[in-house]
Amino acid sequence: MAEPEVTVRKAGKDNVDVVLENMDLSLVNSMRRVFLSEIPTVAIDLVEVEANTSVLADEFLSHRLGLIPLDSSLANELEYTRDCDCEIYCDKCSVVLTLNAVCNTDSTLDVYSSDINVAVPARSDDSIGRPIQSSTDERGILIARLRKNQELRVKCIAKKGIAKEHAKWSPCSGIAFEYDPWNKLKHTDLWYEVDADKEWPKSKNCDYEEPPNLHDKFDYNAVPRKFYMNVETTGQLKPDVVFERGIHVLETKLAEIALALSKAEEETDW
Amino acid sequence: MSGDVSMADVSVGNTEEIAVEDDKMTILPGMASDGSAASFKIKDEDHTLGNTLRYMIMKNPDVEFCGYSIPHPNDNHMHLRIQTYGEITAIEALQKGLRDLVDVCDVVENKFRDEYNKGDYVQEEIA
Ligand SMILES: [Zn+2]
Repeated sequence: MAEPEVTVRKAGKDNVDVVLENMDLSLVNSMRRVFLSEIPTVAIDLVEVEANTSVLADEFLSHRLGLIPLDSSLANELEYTRDCDCEIYCDKCSVVLTLNAVCNTDSTLDVYSSDINVAVPARSDDSIGRPIQSSTDERGILIARLRKNQELRVKCIAKKGIAKEHAKWSPCSGIAFEYDPWNKLKHTDLWYEVDADKEWPKSKNCDYEEPPNLHDKFDYNAVPRKFYMNVETTGQLKPDVVFERGIHVLETKLAEIALALSKAEEETDW
Repeated sequence: MSGDVSMADVSVGNTEEIAVEDDKMTILPGMASDGSAASFKIKDEDHTLGNTLRYMIMKNPDVEFCGYSIPHPNDNHMHLRIQTYGEITAIEALQKGLRDLVDVCDVVENKFRDEYNKGDYVQEEIA
């Protein structure tokens, strides 16, 4: 088989659209799975509520806080708490954030993710754990709305994790994945009333492949060779970083298996 | 056994320290006496690794059969079965599969990096 080819079709702040060629479906699918659920990021995992007189229950608020995307470019500098020497959390395995808000006016006060502050920016770069800001909405995500005299005083502990444990750690909000847009391989059986060709909209990826010739015989040896993938991120990591770290995660898995195999060989009593 | 190729040195993009639990892999009982067929139990792995590893190992012409299964969804482990034609051992086939897969990953990563840096594509507003 020819060497794998990668073409970037489009890229932006939080998405990258690539076409991968001369690879096997299984590998491209492994990449997709790893991007979605095995790249370490940081997210709020513990919330210490000192005061919450808002209408939202503590656990409701905690859940909302957990889902806020935090800058994870330096996530690899953190330890997992389970590997750390500390009891609950410490500088090595967590980032502490605070959120303090009181409404003193007659009108309501909106509390946004941009109101969360990193308590101790102790690490080499204080970007880690900072709530993601986009230029289109400067204040970020609306967390709660306070009425006069209502108050929020919470301490949030952000930890490193992967999305296999909780989706809040996923660096991807979605990955579009397609191959064989003309369905020449018949991997999909399209439902139809009269004519599937007329009733189903064509994928934009059809432009990148030859349409099927009506007189061609079905090629039962054909396998998918060209894959269209659009990686969309939550902002925790840049899309190209997701791509690279994802591949590293996969490589690390392989190296682990290799190491485990040599161990197993030693231990097995032949 | 002739599995003397040290695989601890599989090159990974960034050489961080890799550690594994003692029971990450077990070679299941019933291995062929000449080593040409064996089953492996791998902890904490699933279709992400299984499917692509199965494919890579099957591409080896010395391999007669390779398959993986996840015996039960509640158990966090995967089984991998390898049978060779006898020219190499199942362990060697697995080692080669792992090495080949790392090589492909390296190629894909480098090509992506090059393409991305070239900037020869539609660039959405980067705000
Ligand atoms: Zn710690």
